[in-house]
Amino acid sequence: MLHFTVNWLAGTPSFAAPYALAALGLIVSERAGVLSLGAEGFMLVGALAGVATELELGGYPSIALLVAMLAAAVVSLLFAFLVVFLRVNQVIAGLAVVFFCHGLTSLVGTLGGWTNRAITGMHAVAIWPLSEMPIVGKILFTQDVVVYLTIPIFFLVNYVLTRSMLGLRLRSVGENPEAADASGVSVSLYRLGAVVAGSALIGLAGGYLSVVDVKLWVPGISGGRGWIAIALVIFARWQPWRALFGALLFGGIEALIPRIAAAGIQLPQYFLLMTPYLATIAVMVWAAVTKFGRSNEPAALGQPHIREERR
Amino acid sequence: MLNNTVSAATSAQAPLVKRTGHGWRLGRLNLELRQHMSPWLQALILACALVVGLGISAALLIAAGVKPSALFDEFIVENFSDPENLHSILFQAAPLIFVGVSAALAFRVRFWNLGIEGQMIWGGIGATAVSFYDIGPAATRIPLMMLFAALAGMAWIIVPLWLRVRWRVNEIIVTLLLNYVAFNFLLHLLYGAWLDPKDNFPHSPQFRAFERLPELGFGVSSALVLALIFTALSGWLVMFTRFGFYTKFVHDNDRMALAVGVPIGLVTLVSALLSGALSALAGFVIAAAQEGRLTQSYFEGYGFSGILIAFLARNNPIAAMVVAILVAVLFVSGRSLQVFYQIPFAMVQLIQAIIVISVAASEFLMRHRVHWVR
Repeated sequence: MLHFTVNWLAGTPSFAAPYALAALGLIVSERAGVLSLGAEGFMLVGALAGVATELELGGYPSIALLVAMLAAAVVSLLFAFLVVFLRVNQVIAGLAVVFFCHGLTSLVGTLGGWTNRAITGMHAVAIWPLSEMPIVGKILFTQDVVVYLTIPIFFLVNYVLTRSMLGLRLRSVGENPEAADASGVSVSLYRLGAVVAGSALIGLAGGYLSVVDVKLWVPGISGGRGWIAIALVIFARWQPWRALFGALLFGGIEALIPRIAAAGIQLPQYFLLMTPYLATIAVMVWAAVTKFGRSNEPAALGQPHIREERR
Repeated sequence: MLNNTVSAATSAQAPLVKRTGHGWRLGRLNLELRQHMSPWLQALILACALVVGLGISAALLIAAGVKPSALFDEFIVENFSDPENLHSILFQAAPLIFVGVSAALAFRVRFWNLGIEGQMIWGGIGATAVSFYDIGPAATRIPLMMLFAALAGMAWIIVPLWLRVRWRVNEIIVTLLLNYVAFNFLLHLLYGAWLDPKDNFPHSPQFRAFERLPELGFGVSSALVLALIFTALSGWLVMFTRFGFYTKFVHDNDRMALAVGVPIGLVTLVSALLSGALSALAGFVIAAAQEGRLTQSYFEGYGFSGILIAFLARNNPIAAMVVAILVAVLFVSGRSLQVFYQIPFAMVQLIQAIIVISVAASEFLMRHRVHWVR
């Protein structure tokens, strides 16, 4: 039982990392007032870009992850242009971008010959001597580099959002764009920057899925994780550390699924595969029923800002 | 440009924004909201947007290896000169009309039904259950299958609907996630109890002859006739009834609707339930007319097509029917491109997304007047 638990907990961070990074990216853009429904699409772009880079370079997973971030950021420019400058309905634009990315990635993946080709990917790094500690060593100190980096990334983003002028302006744009505009903050520029920076994080999450986790690209590899991340942000009341907690929760559920089958417990496997989605819905219902943190929602989330339009 | 920022950023009294320098600007774009725009100008902008979207799509196809000279042939000549192709377009149009009208009904009350694929899965399961368990005599088999499909689809949408109406849970995410749940349940059936015993493939046993939607001759399938009947009914409902007027009210200004006593919850409920039923019927139509059994992937891609159709048709069922037929042309051409040029079917999805993006972007010009201010 201890062995099972340790294995399960040690497997959790690598399932949690994509949720955590994607949710963090979403928080950045939603705090600036842009509902980034395109997350699922940006994850796919990051996942394909990562695998393609690694296949073309013949290795270098860290460069692959950087390219994944860059690719997602570039594609998000399209979304940002639509919602920030053209004031397209954010739901329509987000959905269109998701399906644009779905189509684009499966097309480019096939035309480039990158589909279904295994890569070496990134391996876990044991931090010796900490990794030799009983139980804790295996759970915390034999992870891959991205998992280790996730914690400093969270510190950094949380600090920038809550303790810096940049973060203050970014949040002001999401809470009250008219006031921000009146005090001279460029609403469009901040929203553009927030979407692009957030999408780079979402792209990293996607790249992590394909380069580190699965070590393969297949169309639709993200399997709804982008949508789960969006729900996670609502659950986390738009706060980074709560999002990390939620990501660990979902990572834990997902890490449990293959282990239950491996432990010889007979449960219908397709019902097990439903659990992350059902758990997400359950969490959303819980947040709504208890009115948990509704007032934390950025006040101008999803609303376009046009200076000439007075309300 | 921005002044030196290092000290300002940390100081507590720093102004929210630093001053910008002057003199380097040429001017800026100024936006003005338009109160009104003539329908002709709107149509012109829409046409331009479609041309731009199709142009980008054509460029992509050429980049993917289709000869420019063959484009026109593939999409226009082949499809409308060959009766065989015309037949497959009309065949393909039936489920697309169903999902398009379904999305239109839901979007009319601002219910973002992204669960069309999940409802299609349940429609297929409901219809197949009637066939699998031999419910009812042969003569009433088709109506029973339709009824079960519609009920299954309504049951599947009622969860996110109730959560949205009662608790204000975001229906976009719930409907979407339920698609994955429905898909896993479909796999559970197809790899388990409903596995075809004849060939052990993960699809249900073949429907019997009286469980399949018949051809009516002249290349018209009864599936298309059903789709047209439901379109007409939906069109009548939203254009000529009090209920339809209420949906418009809820869509345009729900606070006003509440103030004057429109039963918002009820209107949302009925409209969304109809949407779920119509999506489910799309699943039924594919199972009973195209495949003749329940398969693993019959619903793929219809969810977004439904959204696209409703969006381009401005949530009008009759217009949705027309758009659905055009999307059917795209589907059929996409399949032939797949066969002759090895271009993945994902291209069809990409083209649809590009068209939505260009049309959505063009609405900017309809809503705003753009000035260059010096």
